Amino acid sequence: MSISKLFLGKQSEKLPDNPIPPPSGERTGWQHTLYVIRRDVLAIFSVGWILLMILCALLAPVIAPYPDQGRGRNDADNRLLPPSANNVMGTDELGRDVLSRLIFGAQPAMVASLIVVSVAMLIGVPLGAIAGYYGGWVDELIMRITDLFLAFPSLLLAMAIVSIAGPSLINAVMALVVSWWPWYTRLVRSTTRSLKEEYFIEAARAIGVSDVIIISRHILPNTITPIIVQATIDIGTVILATTSLAFLGLGTQPPNADWGLMIDQGRQFLRQAWWYSLYPGVAIFLTVLAFNLLGDTLRDIFDPRQYR
Amino acid sequence: MKGKLTLIVVLSLLLTIVSATYAQTPQVLSVASTAGVTTWNPASSFSTEALYMANIYETLLMVNPPDAEEAFSPVLATDWSTSEDGLTWTFNLREGVTFHDGAPLTADAVVRSVNLAREIGGAGFIWFPLDTVEAVDDLTVQFNLSYPAPLELIVGSTYGAWIISPNALDAYEADNSYFDAGVASGTGPYMLGEYTPDAEVILMANEAYWGGWNDNQFNIVQVSIVADDVTQEQLLLGGEVDLALRLPPTSYQSLIDNPDFEVFTEATLFNYVGFINVLRPPLDNIAFRQALSYATPYQQIIDVAAEGLATQARGAVPNGVFPYSDDVPQYSYDVDMAKQLLEESGVDPSTVSLRITYAAENAIEETMAPLLKDAWEQALGIEVTIEAILFGQQWAEAKDDPANAQDVFLLLYWPTYSDAGADNLWSMFRSSDAPFFNLSYWANEEFDSLIDEAGILSGTDSDAARDLYTQAQTLMVEEAPSLFFMDVSTWYAVPTYLSGFDYNLNYPFSTFFYPMEVAQ
Amino acid sequence: MKKLEYTLRRLFLSILVLLGMTIITFSLTRVVPSNPAALYLGTRARPEQIEAMTEKLGLNDPLPQQYIRYLGNLLSGDLGDSLATKRPVVTEIVSRLPATGELLIVALIIAIGIGIPLGVFSAQLHGKPADIFVRAFSIIGVSVPQFWLGLLLQLIFGLALEWFPLASRVDSTLRFTSPIQDITGFFIVDTLLTGNWIAFQDVAWHLILPAITLAAYPIGLIARMTRATMLEVMQQNYIRTAEAYGLSYRLIVYVYALKNAIIPTLTVIGLTFAYSLTGAFYVEIIFNWPGLGLFTARSFLNLDFPAIMGVTLFGAFGYIIINLLIDLLQAYIDPRVSLE
Repeated sequence: MSISKLFLGKQSEKLPDNPIPPPSGERTGWQHTLYVIRRDVLAIFSVGWILLMILCALLAPVIAPYPDQGRGRNDADNRLLPPSANNVMGTDELGRDVLSRLIFGAQPAMVASLIVVSVAMLIGVPLGAIAGYYGGWVDELIMRITDLFLAFPSLLLAMAIVSIAGPSLINAVMALVVSWWPWYTRLVRSTTRSLKEEYFIEAARAIGVSDVIIISRHILPNTITPIIVQATIDIGTVILATTSLAFLGLGTQPPNADWGLMIDQGRQFLRQAWWYSLYPGVAIFLTVLAFNLLGDTLRDIFDPRQYR
Repeated sequence: MKGKLTLIVVLSLLLTIVSATYAQTPQVLSVASTAGVTTWNPASSFSTEALYMANIYETLLMVNPPDAEEAFSPVLATDWSTSEDGLTWTFNLREGVTFHDGAPLTADAVVRSVNLAREIGGAGFIWFPLDTVEAVDDLTVQFNLSYPAPLELIVGSTYGAWIISPNALDAYEADNSYFDAGVASGTGPYMLGEYTPDAEVILMANEAYWGGWNDNQFNIVQVSIVADDVTQEQLLLGGEVDLALRLPPTSYQSLIDNPDFEVFTEATLFNYVGFINVLRPPLDNIAFRQALSYATPYQQIIDVAAEGLATQARGAVPNGVFPYSDDVPQYSYDVDMAKQLLEESGVDPSTVSLRITYAAENAIEETMAPLLKDAWEQALGIEVTIEAILFGQQWAEAKDDPANAQDVFLLLYWPTYSDAGADNLWSMFRSSDAPFFNLSYWANEEFDSLIDEAGILSGTDSDAARDLYTQAQTLMVEEAPSLFFMDVSTWYAVPTYLSGFDYNLNYPFSTFFYPMEVAQ
Repeated sequence: MKKLEYTLRRLFLSILVLLGMTIITFSLTRVVPSNPAALYLGTRARPEQIEAMTEKLGLNDPLPQQYIRYLGNLLSGDLGDSLATKRPVVTEIVSRLPATGELLIVALIIAIGIGIPLGVFSAQLHGKPADIFVRAFSIIGVSVPQFWLGLLLQLIFGLALEWFPLASRVDSTLRFTSPIQDITGFFIVDTLLTGNWIAFQDVAWHLILPAITLAAYPIGLIARMTRATMLEVMQQNYIRTAEAYGLSYRLIVYVYALKNAIIPTLTVIGLTFAYSLTGAFYVEIIFNWPGLGLFTARSFLNLDFPAIMGVTLFGAFGYIIINLLIDLLQAYIDPRVSLE
């Protein structure tokens, strides 16, 4: 329904399952999306900030004023300097430029969260579709397993896994994937179940289209929009999770840069060097905020009937 | 009638006011410490609860700080002597001392305490040289050793040498969990009042203490167990505690500048070493290990990781502890020498990749490791990775499989009692079949025989023993199975309204509350 | 009958899930290469002692046997003894519950007290320019990393302004000057019950910063949910009927609309309570709050297996119970929910 609106624009009117006329005049789907975003200050900010973070993650060595320090090289003579012309955000306890560390810190944040969300989707979406489509004992089995993982507070599970496997960003990512995929299974399952009853699915089955094709060609594409919204917001939430784990010492390890790790290391210098803990927190906050806002905006675009 | 009533009321009021003025509000010393309690059993105690043990129990004598005039102070023993061959020691006990539960101090109590510690103590091994201990009479104890050893250091140990009340020992024999809930009976100035696990320990003054009391001392010591040094600082500066025993190293300067506090900077018996895995090429190459030793930025590590509160180590024996000697050599940060030795070793740096492990809980090691990594990479052109592991795992991994273990193991070490020849050198560098603390896996026969001989000599002629130990250490430093980083100092910020604070490095986990008073 | 069936089924499934969790926690803790016996004995135990203790703790037995033993103990309510404190894990958990509970409840009260009016207010602003600010505000709540917010509050209100204490639950000297009587374990309640105003003020002052930190996320969630359901409800026909009848706007909004918007909000409140369990973890670390979260952190750091398993099971158990209650509540109250 909604996905067709996104891609087909005005043409989507002709589809039988679209009782609501397009909200704006002559714009096509993508143009409509951009139109909404342009009008919304918050949306502009969020897209802009996310692009900035992606840029930082990809081009950190180019953008950062002190790329070596971003990677971990020390400059012990210049420890804990307050913000100045040389170091816009001051230096940390090993003399490294905080701004450069911040820029390099975008890498684990963005990359880790993208991996977690994509792998979680890769596992959870097919499982949810299968569970929702086939029902019966397959559904029961998958849902029980899902419930099992959902029952665990994700933080505890992540901590347990990382404590055992050893603290590192990779282990944190794996631990988070384990906690995250159930949400997608649930989401896709409920959408699949309602879609299953639609006429066009029954029709397809009647002519003998194989299950696999029905699921992949007809059902999944129509579940995409809530998945995209969920994934966008999740990227933000996962960034919170990875930085939280790093804060506990269970994620990214020194000397690599990570926003959560910097906050943890800066905590003992709170009195003398407030900049050390402050700026990484701002970075986390703005990034998660951007993803949340973007998710909200996307939700509006895809389904304006639902008031947020 | 009314008059009488009024009289009674007025009198009672007067009485309350008068008694309130003269009522003794207890003088409370409020302390924050990281010291948790792993056990209340003084015989088996081997951990941070030494803070409390040292105030509740006493040893026969106290080992004095290195700068004191006398090496030892009499505590429960007033004097002692040793035989010519160093195998028989006789201690005379102090008269009139009683335990908290009223039992008198007798030689029998000493004998039983020592035997119990020997049997179940975490630090029971300190009594290895002891053959038998017996009560000659009520106030005389005789120790018979199988080989000469510095017994004074042993009986003054902070672990495994507390003298326990015979009543408590009886109760323990009947029920092994006697001490667990928080029961103590020693001769010390304070008694155990209340214990809330992981939260608080309350010590109450022992009115019958043989040392006597004056009005300025503290009736109650309340210790809050606070694991975090940042929080301790907050409590101290906020006036919520009088003493904070663990403060963030970064606050050192600000507290020195603070007129409300006096800062004591003290040498300790803690040092940092970095074991090099001598089993794995190219670390089996002595010249290469020496190159690493010259490429280590000792002063930078002291300045940055320890905030300047350390001195470069000479060998593995901390300064101020037997058998330290200035004659033991040390490396310096000399990149040219390092490069030269690298060439001599014939090792190709581009093929070398070293893994340094350190304890994730240790903030100093966390700062040391990146400094080491940077310095070695830049000086020698090798590749270095650093890995933080929780100490329990770090140690388990190192012990299990030397072949697959780390390349460099950073370790904070301290001797169980003030004999770093019998402890540090023996534990860390003597060869052993199954590694325990010898995490460089080094095995050198000459070193082994030197320290074995020195150990026996230390019971009778400590100077000669020191010479032998120095020879052994010189050999060790030259072969460089480990990096010898620094001896750390500690510091305490004491508010100016308190007096009597003193630090004794022989009791590193203890603070003695008895001498503390409200300043006059 | 159907409801009963549903309830029983959910209960049964919850038990299965719990069992699965015991297997998971157990396996996780047995896989790690560390040294529980060494932890038990203290840092410098000798190899022979460690070996003896390992045997005594039953760690050399085959894994399935250890698991059966563990399960058996579990059923009789024994979670084992903490390796670090030597006390039963159950005691450790139960003794710390009031501290964490107090923090959670106060934070939740703040969250509801601010979140619901905020949600109602923003629903009324829908479409107007000011809407952006309120939208942003509620999203801010769910975007801020809690551990950082705590530090920020400490920095501003603790260090710079010195309005509130930086850490701990109560001033330690209070024990001698105005001791708090232990009735419920909740200091706020106990001090009020005994009229101990000095202690009450001290305890309240210590609670403020941590509670606000913990409340930030729930405020965001509750505000958004209240707003969403309010908007939906306001569109309903019966509201328009009430308007047509001329009932006051206030009455409509706060009584009729809110009453119906509450149900989904209750769900969110339940979920945020569950979420706050993990949030409390960070808050307790930052503020050195002597609750379950701090104990959990310490246990993980020390690799104290019985404690780790105990708190993990306990946390998961709490999660399951809360979710179960929410589901049952919805099933019984909201006729729209199908009992699938």
